[in-house]
Amino acid sequence: MKVRAIVLGFALLGAGGGLIARGATRIGVHQGYAPEQPIDFPHRIHAGDNKIPCLYCHSGARTSRHAGIPSASVCMNCHSLIEKQTTEIQRLKEAFQQQRPIVWTKVHNLPDFVYFNHSQHVVSGVACQRCHGAVERMDRIEQASPLTMGWCLGCHRSEAHVPTSTFARVAANVRNRPTPFAGEDCTSCHY
Amino acid sequence: MTNRRPSCEEAAHGAPGGGDGGQPLVQLGLPTGTRSTGFEATRRDVLSLMGFSLGAIGVAGCRAPVQHAVPLPAASAEMVPGVPNQYATTCGGCSAACALVVKQRDGRPIKIEGNESSSLTGGGTCAAGQASVLSLYDDARLRAPLWMGNPVSWPEMDQHIRTALGGHGDAREVVLLSQTITSPSTRAVLDDLRAAFPKFRHVVYDPMSLASLRAANRLCHGAAVIPHYRFDRARVVVGLEADFLGTWLAPVEFARQWARRRAGGADASERAFHVQCEAGLSVTGSNADLRLAVAPSELGRFAVALLGAVARRLGTDPPAGLDASALAQEAPHAAAVDSIAGKLALNRGESLVVSGSDDVATQIVVARLNALLGNVGKTVDLEQPSWQRQGDDAALPALINDMNRGAVHALMIWGANPVYDHPDGAAFRAALSKVALTISFADRRDETSAHVSAICPDHHFLEAWGDAEPVNGHFSLRQPLIAPLHDTRAAVESLLAWADRPADHRSVLRDFWRRALYGQTTPAAGGFEEFWERSLERGVVDIPRPPVATHPFAGDSEGAVRDIISRGRANRAGADQSGGYELALAETVGARDGRHANNPWLQELPDPMTRLTWGNVACIAPETAAALGVATGDVVALTTETGKLELPAFIQAGQQRRTISVAVGYGRSAAGKAGDGVGANVFPLARVENGVRRYSARVTVAKAGRRARLAPAQTHFSMEGREIVQFEHEHDQAHGDEHEKLPDLWRERLHGAHAWGMSIDLDACTGCSACVVACQAENNIPVVGAEQVRKSRIMHWLRIDRYFEGDGEDARSLHQPMMCQHCQHAPCETVCPVLATTTSSEGINQQVYNRCIGTRYCANNCPYKVRRFNWHNFTASDDFPYNMTSPLGRLVLNPDVTVRSRGVMEKCNLCVQRIQLGKNEALLQRRPIADGDVATACQQSCPTGAIVFGDRADPDSRVSKLLAGRRAYNVLEELGTRPNVSYLKKRAPEGST
Repeated sequence: MKVRAIVLGFALLGAGGGLIARGATRIGVHQGYAPEQPIDFPHRIHAGDNKIPCLYCHSGARTSRHAGIPSASVCMNCHSLIEKQTTEIQRLKEAFQQQRPIVWTKVHNLPDFVYFNHSQHVVSGVACQRCHGAVERMDRIEQASPLTMGWCLGCHRSEAHVPTSTFARVAANVRNRPTPFAGEDCTSCHY
Repeated sequence: MTNRRPSCEEAAHGAPGGGDGGQPLVQLGLPTGTRSTGFEATRRDVLSLMGFSLGAIGVAGCRAPVQHAVPLPAASAEMVPGVPNQYATTCGGCSAACALVVKQRDGRPIKIEGNESSSLTGGGTCAAGQASVLSLYDDARLRAPLWMGNPVSWPEMDQHIRTALGGHGDAREVVLLSQTITSPSTRAVLDDLRAAFPKFRHVVYDPMSLASLRAANRLCHGAAVIPHYRFDRARVVVGLEADFLGTWLAPVEFARQWARRRAGGADASERAFHVQCEAGLSVTGSNADLRLAVAPSELGRFAVALLGAVARRLGTDPPAGLDASALAQEAPHAAAVDSIAGKLALNRGESLVVSGSDDVATQIVVARLNALLGNVGKTVDLEQPSWQRQGDDAALPALINDMNRGAVHALMIWGANPVYDHPDGAAFRAALSKVALTISFADRRDETSAHVSAICPDHHFLEAWGDAEPVNGHFSLRQPLIAPLHDTRAAVESLLAWADRPADHRSVLRDFWRRALYGQTTPAAGGFEEFWERSLERGVVDIPRPPVATHPFAGDSEGAVRDIISRGRANRAGADQSGGYELALAETVGARDGRHANNPWLQELPDPMTRLTWGNVACIAPETAAALGVATGDVVALTTETGKLELPAFIQAGQQRRTISVAVGYGRSAAGKAGDGVGANVFPLARVENGVRRYSARVTVAKAGRRARLAPAQTHFSMEGREIVQFEHEHDQAHGDEHEKLPDLWRERLHGAHAWGMSIDLDACTGCSACVVACQAENNIPVVGAEQVRKSRIMHWLRIDRYFEGDGEDARSLHQPMMCQHCQHAPCETVCPVLATTTSSEGINQQVYNRCIGTRYCANNCPYKVRRFNWHNFTASDDFPYNMTSPLGRLVLNPDVTVRSRGVMEKCNLCVQRIQLGKNEALLQRRPIADGDVATACQQSCPTGAIVFGDRADPDSRVSKLLAGRRAYNVLEELGTRPNVSYLKKRAPEGST
């Protein structure tokens, strides 16, 4: 009886410990985070049904470290002409008319000690969906990937072909490919 | 254990265990609500444990704290978040008006760089200029105009002032007291004001005045100007108490010129010979081939002896009929005089004698020297002069008299603080009450503006339009980097509003350029608009200006010589009797004239010559200190005819033994929290004599009977026989050969696409410390305050070590910038228990802040002691009331660099953020990164180009070529660390072994 209790105790402790470890390693990981936004903007209609390219609105991703959330004026490029009216579109138009900035809730956040540059990845041909998931099917934006360092390194190691010197030699033989520099160096992202 | 599911808010701040609300969720200890009677895990404990971990998983779906992204309502094509913009402007840190290019992120300026297009500065900056970006975000700045101490609106202020001015065509005197104005458009506005106020007078006041030089040139050459000096055209340079590499007149430009003839590519035959005579140690003196300690009262006699020796060499008449050897006897360092004169005579037209002396007679002798040597028109350009100092010493005392007489109806003070920095400051303050209307354009309630009726704060120069003409024909424009942060208004706009000609500064500027200057340029295809846009983008414009009318030397040098000799004799007699000392006021690179006192970056900048921070000291020669029984740290009382001061003594080998040097710019009482009460104000101790402002005075020194604590950044100045700063020898070999000889325990480290390295030319480094402030600005380095500096916890990643060679008055000071050497076999890496520091594939010794747990073993093991530890949370603690704890001050932070928390080690990372951005730029442009694409902050700020950064893996890069040369060496090479940062040996000073 006592032996069984002890064995059961250990099993539960093991399970509990495992759960704690999993919880501990998930601290700060917000996969599945889908907060409510001030305007319930559906990517499914815009990027999905209407096939608006990601970079049309999130133009910063091409040249900047931040992809950015578009200003209301970008929305109004179309919505000043579109007749369709919903409560959400109404909210947008009011904000724009009053020149009131819309306070979006950031979904994808990296800690302060991480430097991530969108333009490096965009110009190297990484598709937006690779990290952000099937955004064109989302009604409300959700963080699809864990965005942990290990997850980033998975791609860096397998697809970006480090060490850089090896790739530089390979890439030099391939025309029109930008020379990537996705290093495994700590200072690629931490400085 | 609570059964309720914690909400997102609570997840951040409340432990599900209950009872210890406020604990962060990350605490994984057993919830304190658990009852645990013994070591046995009860069933309840296990369940609560499981519940806790389930709770932990559950709340992962929530997020705390919530972050927001707030785009502008209307997208801007110019401002893309994350992409810096750069705009050209002009510095306002002093009247040298160097051209700048300022980096702006998200609509605010965060980093100042020099403008490489400038034909004067070539892209260099100085420490004060680099620090000026922080003064924009100074909490002490006024946020609204003040009338009688109360905030008012601008229309109300204008109403008050117009009423008080009492209408135009008025015969009452309106005086503008300002610092030197180099802006041609502003001068035009002042001319316009004369139409509105017939009795308008402009009094120019410089706290560090060059009025004697101007007066001498007026007497000798017919124009009261300061020449444009060309150190790069001189093969022999003699500096007589002029710190032209540090603070005198235009140090950034002069350092660049000087370095052209002294460093890098200057081969031996072209290399300039530099002699410096000074009382205290200055940056310039430390870089001279020959430094002679000369007291201010002896300087004139030295110049006279030099004149006599040169005249003899050139076969011209001896000055004042006095024989050269007779003159030499009156002078100090007689032996050196003849040798210097010989060199000067051999280099007619290619030599330069400059003096910062406050004595007009001495300046006349210097002018005579330059004329004799044929330097006028070559290294001394009087026809295209410098406009960087226009103050007249007699004007302020005369103004005080006028004020006291009641003759001045309205006084406007612009960029001047005479209550603090003029010897008659107290008299000026008293006289203010005799003026009906007093206005100041100061940005804060400083010592002077606290006593005026109206403070109409001017913009910071980074918020303002404007222009500058530092040297005749060389123009530089100023444009705002940010909309004014507070309710301030350009002084020019205020003046025009009160003269009933309201206009905005930009229009005034454009109209002036179109009217007065555009016509003298080659017309652009697009007319003035195109010219204007191009000029604003480039920042600098060179437009030839008619020369100032001057005539060849016609001054009374005979009279000057006789005057100096007789005064010298009287002086010596007096000195012999009283045994007194001379107090010499000196300007340092950090404090300058005191206007930046509330800038903590400059307060914490270690002075290159004393290595002290947060305060000034009385520098005393070792022999003098011994005679007085004074040790470093003993407080001494200095008493002159006009004032008394108590300061800690600092024994300084090389200080002239009868002089005490004290830095100006300290002891402010109304600068702000950082600057008030730091050091002591020495300005009142020297006075205006016969209309000439003196910067030295007879002083008596007495021990005050107590000690004070200094805040030194370096306490040990000897190299202890190790060759840390090396000099060239004839038998030097190329650098690589020596390496082979050292055995190596480590495997050769392979590098990736690049191998970043750096070369620092010790010949070119003057010690000006612009790089130190640039690094602080670029890398979000915190200010720690005097107390922490005393504990050796200063946070600068880059420091300029100062070593002494020799002792006594002939001691040489050597400067060496020291930062992380990025050793290939780094002693710090092997001892980090968590591998927070490793070497990247490109040779950078990288510090990963989030891995660091703060054992500090790495700093312990570093032989160069370049690692800095964050002992405190500088961003959140009240003990550090500097820019990082202020919401306004935080605006200066560089968003590309992590702000480190307590417990983390940091050090130079060769500006890896700039390297990454450079690589990204190249990637976006589909090209490989080129040499020169990436410049580290220290490299970019250096006025002499001493620091060169680049890719050692590229044999054609500048740094590879420098490192392959004979002069390259590594510090502490014998330790086998194989640093990626190398130094270029100093050339041995001429005349030494």
